[in-house]
Amino acid sequence: MSVQIKANGDMIGRAVPRIDGRLKVTGAACYPSDVVLDDTAHAFLVMSTIARGRISALDLTEAQAVDGVIDILTYENTKGKVHKVRFFALGGYTSTSIVPLDTRKIWHDGQIIAMVVAETFEAAREAAYMIRVDYMERRAVSGLDGRKPQPRAAAGFLSSEPGVGDPETAYQEADVKIDAYYSTPAQHHNAIELYATTCAWSGDQLTVYESSQYVYGLKNGVAKQLGIRPERVRAVSPFVGGAFGSKAAITPRTALVAIAAKRLGRPVKLVATRQQGFTVSSYRAETQHHIKLGADRSGRLTSLSHEGWEISSRADDYKVAGTDTTSLLYACPNVATHVNIVHADRSTPGFMRSPAEVPYMFALESAMDELAVKLRMDPVELRRLNDTQIDPINQKPFSSRSLIACYDRAAAAFGWAKRNPEPGSMQDRDWLIGWGCATACYPTNIGPAEVRVTLAPNGKARVRTAGHDLGTGAYTAIALTAAEFLGIPLEDVNVELGDSSLPPAPVAGGSNATASICNAVAHACEDIRERLARAASHEGALRGVDPAVIRLREGMLVGADKSEPLKSALLRIGFGPVEGHAKYTPEVASVPIKLLGHTLLSKGIPVLTVGTSAGNHVQYAFGAEFVEVRVHKRTREIRVPRLVGAFAAGRIVSPITARSQLLGALIWGVASALHEETEIDERVARYVNKDLADYMIPVSADIRDVEVILVPEEDNKVNALGIKGVGELGNVGTNAAIANAVYHATGRRIRNLPIRMEDLL
Amino acid sequence: MDANSPLKASLSASRALKLVLSVNGRDHRLSLDPRVTLLDALREHLGLTGTKKGCDQGQCGACTVHVDGQRVLSCLTLAASVEGKAVTTIEGLALDESTLHPMQQAFMDHDAFQCGYCTPGQIMSAVACVMEGLAETDDDIREYMSGNLCRCAAYPNIVAAIKQARAEMKRSRK
Repeated sequence: MSVQIKANGDMIGRAVPRIDGRLKVTGAACYPSDVVLDDTAHAFLVMSTIARGRISALDLTEAQAVDGVIDILTYENTKGKVHKVRFFALGGYTSTSIVPLDTRKIWHDGQIIAMVVAETFEAAREAAYMIRVDYMERRAVSGLDGRKPQPRAAAGFLSSEPGVGDPETAYQEADVKIDAYYSTPAQHHNAIELYATTCAWSGDQLTVYESSQYVYGLKNGVAKQLGIRPERVRAVSPFVGGAFGSKAAITPRTALVAIAAKRLGRPVKLVATRQQGFTVSSYRAETQHHIKLGADRSGRLTSLSHEGWEISSRADDYKVAGTDTTSLLYACPNVATHVNIVHADRSTPGFMRSPAEVPYMFALESAMDELAVKLRMDPVELRRLNDTQIDPINQKPFSSRSLIACYDRAAAAFGWAKRNPEPGSMQDRDWLIGWGCATACYPTNIGPAEVRVTLAPNGKARVRTAGHDLGTGAYTAIALTAAEFLGIPLEDVNVELGDSSLPPAPVAGGSNATASICNAVAHACEDIRERLARAASHEGALRGVDPAVIRLREGMLVGADKSEPLKSALLRIGFGPVEGHAKYTPEVASVPIKLLGHTLLSKGIPVLTVGTSAGNHVQYAFGAEFVEVRVHKRTREIRVPRLVGAFAAGRIVSPITARSQLLGALIWGVASALHEETEIDERVARYVNKDLADYMIPVSADIRDVEVILVPEEDNKVNALGIKGVGELGNVGTNAAIANAVYHATGRRIRNLPIRMEDLL
Repeated sequence: MDANSPLKASLSASRALKLVLSVNGRDHRLSLDPRVTLLDALREHLGLTGTKKGCDQGQCGACTVHVDGQRVLSCLTLAASVEGKAVTTIEGLALDESTLHPMQQAFMDHDAFQCGYCTPGQIMSAVACVMEGLAETDDDIREYMSGNLCRCAAYPNIVAAIKQARAEMKRSRK
């Protein structure tokens, strides 16, 4: 399909309130955990209390005696019921290769070892605590100590190891050198909606109500786990109470709830507790980094090496390998990278917002600041000097790269010119002031998407696709796109998402959804326009007008100074609504994706063209972030009164919701720098701060002024609409900007996150 | 009986409590396990799912409702303990079918949420903070709203929304 898609109306880019806002402020938005079905039984999970070993005995006697208990699933009655389904990072569906309730084996603390089902939530919970478990425990390995250098381990799967030139020799010969280790902690998504699942069977038809970033993955994966045809499963998730990567792959709980509902012949609802949520789904694994930078006296990089270590489970090789990004960020002729996986007795990690960039860019952007200090150079000027429009590894051009424009806009808004570079030189009464900056970047990923749009004679449109709105503003961006291309008011567009009975859309991950789906919507609308225009060119007011110039505008067909109401044009080709259909394949997709993309999409297998695999160019969005920190002279309390981020991410479809995403992401960056850490008891490989009181995330009192600047950028190479996506861009680099600001305030370089008061004593 | 078939048991009705809950101006007769929290009574027994469960242990604020005009965490409140008191939830906040409460409108106007899951709790807390005179300055708003976590981190927009609604709530009181 080679239709011309060009947005020239005034809907895309218009600042409108999110269209699902009213449902959210009135409590009417129905999240999957809100579903209440008649005759529902309630489930409660029981989790392992050791990290490695075997269950030697399970005593259910007391649990079964609890009033209201109906059923207890354990490996004894569930073994073999859940089929092993491939891990998502290997092109499968599941968040872990560990099959639930399949054996006595314990792989990690907090592994599901039983599920109680009862008439009420209260009875299920009571019984769950009555189950007696005996273990044969083995000594567990908890992970890596990020504060000590790690040995080089074996590389895992799909290791691309980008590199170029002779970085070792260049490093030896460099005028100025940085050689440092950095680390980032384990983190958990902690979306405010708990992990909840309701399963209901109607004959052999299963409906799964579960918050999801990928309803097609959920449908197809659960079908495989249960050994039934995918047509027998429907996944429903019209609203998602936060996800951040935790709801993309299928977690072990879902199949268990489906099995329980089948055994009981009635709906079963599971709501995992906040504590259980720490091992019900995935997490961001702790990482360590070794960075070596070499530069000449002017500041030009001559050598860059970046080695990473990441924790994975014993069941899976998972890694985020952010060296794909850090290797191409700056002009440097000699680059080496390597990523190591360290296996431990832990659950399998997974995506968490900007999975690769948050840890790896922390290391690189901290090291760049250290280099600027050593060179006695302004850190913005160091980035300017080493900026590049060409990927230094493969010599491909960036489709567009407005990094320096972002730095200039953000620096001006921040007042960076007034910075005294001397550490500790800026003070306000009892507070040391530090100003720091860092680069944000995120690959522009895009996938195939299928959309159906109907336009009725009353001028109302329906857009249907199994996309997801995680709070991202997807409903609004999609509605704006349809309104633009159909020439109708926004309020006449109805968008349906989050249901696997709709046409397939990609996983809401990797910030691809707006680009993938809005381009598909444009094509589906174009399908409608073309059919109306062709018919209109034969008769009526537009007779004889070239169909190619006829446009839909303000409820009319217009072309060659003539016009016709939409209604009469629609009635010409039928009595009901006209349907436009599009199977959009990204323009930049590889040949295999062009051939197989839609087949894989319909099977719920993610097929994204990523920033470094887009044909003859590389595609990334960029930003520049500036922060002010204040460190109290005596208590060493750290505050962040001010953040400014400027971002260039191609065409912004929905500016209000995009701004909110970037605003929230900057605050995620504060959390990454100063708050979040899942703490691990190393003796038993167990998380110790498994709740929202002890797992630190920012509260309102932690945040003051946050400014988001959207830097205009046109990019006609990434896709027809020029969209790059903003969901994960904003929280990249923020942690480094804060660490750099802490150095500026105190002269203390903190290389291990999070930075806490005790690090500055 | 096959070892794999569901165990037979039934909930004994003897422990059930009969009570009347007044929610959003309507009385509801319920028969509940005494351990049922106000949150679960609203969500699972009355179908009022606007009040959200985010932690079930008083740490996130998503379940905030008003009891006799005071903000309470419904997850830490037993349903039986509010019999005879007036419970207001997010569903009962709008002035009528077509007119939102100024706080609801302000949250929409300032895009003071993303996923929306913490939003009902934020709004219930915000209304109470304004009524209690604890939202007079930006610092007060930030401090007194810090019991309501927003993982999407819409905090600056929430502060802006509360300031707008504060002005309107004061106007309408005069």
